[in-house]
Amino acid sequence: MARPRRSRRTLTVVVVLVLVSIAIITIDERGGSRVSSDLRNAASRVFAPIRKGVDDVLRPIGNFFAGAVNYGSVAQENAKLQATLGRLRQQQAEQAYEQRQLRQMAALLHLSYLGSLQTVTAQTVTVNVSNFVASIGIDKGTADGVALGMPVVGAGGLVGQVVQAFRHSATVRLLTDGRSKVGVSFGRHATQAVVNGEGSGDPLAVDFVPPGTPMRKGQVLFTNGLAGAEYPNGIPVAFVTSYDTVPGASQMTVVAQPMANLHQLTYVDVVLWEPAP
Amino acid sequence: MTGGDVARTGLVVLLFLLVQQTIALNIVVAGAHPDVLLLLPIVTGLGAGPARGAAMGFAAGIVADLFVPAPFGLSALVGTLVGFAVGSLVNYSSRSPWWVVPGVALTASAAAVMLYAVLGAVLGEEQFLRADLAAIVLVVGVANALLSLPALRLVIWSFGVNRERGTLAAVGRR
Repeated sequence: MARPRRSRRTLTVVVVLVLVSIAIITIDERGGSRVSSDLRNAASRVFAPIRKGVDDVLRPIGNFFAGAVNYGSVAQENAKLQATLGRLRQQQAEQAYEQRQLRQMAALLHLSYLGSLQTVTAQTVTVNVSNFVASIGIDKGTADGVALGMPVVGAGGLVGQVVQAFRHSATVRLLTDGRSKVGVSFGRHATQAVVNGEGSGDPLAVDFVPPGTPMRKGQVLFTNGLAGAEYPNGIPVAFVTSYDTVPGASQMTVVAQPMANLHQLTYVDVVLWEPAP
Repeated sequence: MTGGDVARTGLVVLLFLLVQQTIALNIVVAGAHPDVLLLLPIVTGLGAGPARGAAMGFAAGIVADLFVPAPFGLSALVGTLVGFAVGSLVNYSSRSPWWVVPGVALTASAAAVMLYAVLGAVLGEEQFLRADLAAIVLVVGVANALLSLPALRLVIWSFGVNRERGTLAAVGRR
């Protein structure tokens, strides 16, 4: 008789835990994220100094193993970086022309520039804490003026957007994350499009580009800053790596790479600009 | 469980959290890194039975959720189900062959990663299914298999099991 009682107790424990988990998820998803936000804030404050202390001691060990495991990919990445450097040198000249054009257009539209916006420099403390979310953790938070939705730039262009802001830290969703969507414009006619993240390490997809739109490899896409946009205008987002028009398709197939080097984000700038509510 | 058991279990969770946040995040292979917190419910389910496996899964999952910008409670749900499933399905004892623990860790980790992705997609995080699941499954599974034996010893120590009597699983399934 003891066996069924034990099984019933086990089942009860499991059912209760599953129900509690579902309740927590539901509360969080229904906008009760204040509770989870407070918990995450508290955990971040408590754990940050511990992590930093241990990290200072253990990081060299982790780097040793990471280097040993990733030696092949590091060598490959170095070759890719050399190629990228050459391409960027070529683009530098082209960008100067496009930036000039953009400034002229923005002046006509009385739009703001990133240059006139304040920024806060932050250090990256964690990278991709989840295998499913492309994100970084930074060491600046609400105490430094950082707020939800603020754009983050660095290493040559847009890096992402603040999705969690705690007192002394924040989480930034990277441009490559599957949930990232950025309204962009490009070209002489300021064609509008949307840059979508496709997951960490994957190239970006550029949607809603009408067939026949003049396009070239290396074309730089900038945030469009339209009314209600989540980013101010004029931030370089990505450059086109390939494009194609399938006959009969309603839009071009455009693939792009982030302007910012998302593998080298030791320091980033949080732009103190909040999207309109 | 005594106060000492709770303190030791908390210490083990904290240790795994530290390892995850410091070393594991720096070991990136094919774009994926190990997830050692996922190992806790698996080895607890093996060594201490389904109820404790589920409880450990819930606790480790909640701790993991505190540091991940994803639906809060999702890791707890997955951890609970995995801990319970391993404890219920695997009849492990101290006389089982050595490869059972790494084998179960590999299989259960793979299943947990897939479950996390699917449940995430159900909750509106469709991009979870677009992630390189094969790479994540492989990296998480292999890392957890390699760490499973020392992790099992730690968990058995944290629950204060008398080694002469074998693991708590035997006690829990009486």
